[in-house]
Amino acid sequence: MNCQRLKNWVEERYDVEEIKDFAKKKLVPTHKYEIWYYTGGITLFLFVIQFITGMILSFYYVPHFEHAYKSIIEIVTKLNMGWFFRSLHHWGAQLAIVFLFIHVWSTLLLKSYRKPREFLWFSGFMLLGISIFFGLSGYLLLWDERAFAAVKVATGGAGNLPVIGNFIKAFLRGGIDVTGETLIRFYAFHVSILPLATLFLIGLHILLVQYHGMSVPLSLEKKAHKEIPFFPNLFYKDLIIWLIILGIVVTLATLVPPEIGKKADPLAPAPENIKPEWYFLFLFQTLKLFPGEILGLNGEMIAIILISCGILFFFLIPFFDKKSNRGEKSPLFTWIGIIYFLYFVIMTVFGFVS
Amino acid sequence: MKRFIITITLMLIHATNLLAQQEKVDVFPAVSYDRFIIFQTLAIFWIGIIGLIIIIKIKLKEIERIQKMGINKEEKDIPLLD
Repeated sequence: MNCQRLKNWVEERYDVEEIKDFAKKKLVPTHKYEIWYYTGGITLFLFVIQFITGMILSFYYVPHFEHAYKSIIEIVTKLNMGWFFRSLHHWGAQLAIVFLFIHVWSTLLLKSYRKPREFLWFSGFMLLGISIFFGLSGYLLLWDERAFAAVKVATGGAGNLPVIGNFIKAFLRGGIDVTGETLIRFYAFHVSILPLATLFLIGLHILLVQYHGMSVPLSLEKKAHKEIPFFPNLFYKDLIIWLIILGIVVTLATLVPPEIGKKADPLAPAPENIKPEWYFLFLFQTLKLFPGEILGLNGEMIAIILISCGILFFFLIPFFDKKSNRGEKSPLFTWIGIIYFLYFVIMTVFGFVS
Repeated sequence: MKRFIITITLMLIHATNLLAQQEKVDVFPAVSYDRFIIFQTLAIFWIGIIGLIIIIKIKLKEIERIQKMGINKEEKDIPLLD
């Protein structure tokens, strides 16, 4: 079957011309803040890398506490290019979370969450939460002593939530402590539950972007701005940025492959100066600020409640920011966004150096 | 004989240091030839990426030039040559 016959075969069954027409007619605004539009596309591209490398690694990984560590060492040392795919998966995850954070903050500062795009904000925020859980669950799969201690601390922290804390802790751990059961649960989350949730949310997010169109910042909304076709103009620009990102991920994966520590021993004490992954450092540092007891109450529990309230407020910002919804400038929420950003950066840096 | 015993004893003393050393897993090929091939491939990979970026950039400029001239739009009442 030659190309023309194949084209005819498809065109007989599907209205390809209509799709082509839609792609050509779809316009996107162009202005001085358009650079932030690309962060969403970059994150999507990194998710694709994660899915591909994850599928390759899953052929060889053994999700059992006795074999998990050994299987990763075999992937890295014996498998052809195994070290590279593991490294690519690691750096892809790190960069995906970096760009998700940038995407969320740019959305917040440009007030792109305002009416009618509230569900875009919620779906994006949920994707950030899922990605962080992806990171945590993937970290334990290594089954080395650092990952083991980090997951113990993270799940223990969740246990401090009032009422539902103990249930969440037991549900995540699959028991009282972090054991082989936890590894199996985290594996199930990492390779089946979270990818399905991610696919659903990405689909919904893209669908909503198509439905509402790209958001224009409040300051430029009433001014006349140029529009360019999505295809091929923006698509080609996206392609250039994806190529650069691919180059960066591959370079990092080659030059800075992630280390593997000693095999986890549930009976051994946690290694000294244990630190979680960088995206948990601000939480870790916040917990350190609180004393063990405040007015007779557990200090850690109070810290977890305050952090949860802070995250919930961040999640519900589209409902609180009434001015943006009316199309007016709301400097208060710009400042709230800046304070959140500075807190995150400062605490993460403190977490690194302390 | 005395020298031999001292040498063996010193070797054994130094060997005990190995027990304290943390075992490190090689997360990158250790053979220098493999390393050379990997770095060479990385350099070629970047050349490929830069080349592709240049091609896309040229293509995009050409598209934008055509769009500016307005010859990309289809005319509604264009006469058909049958």
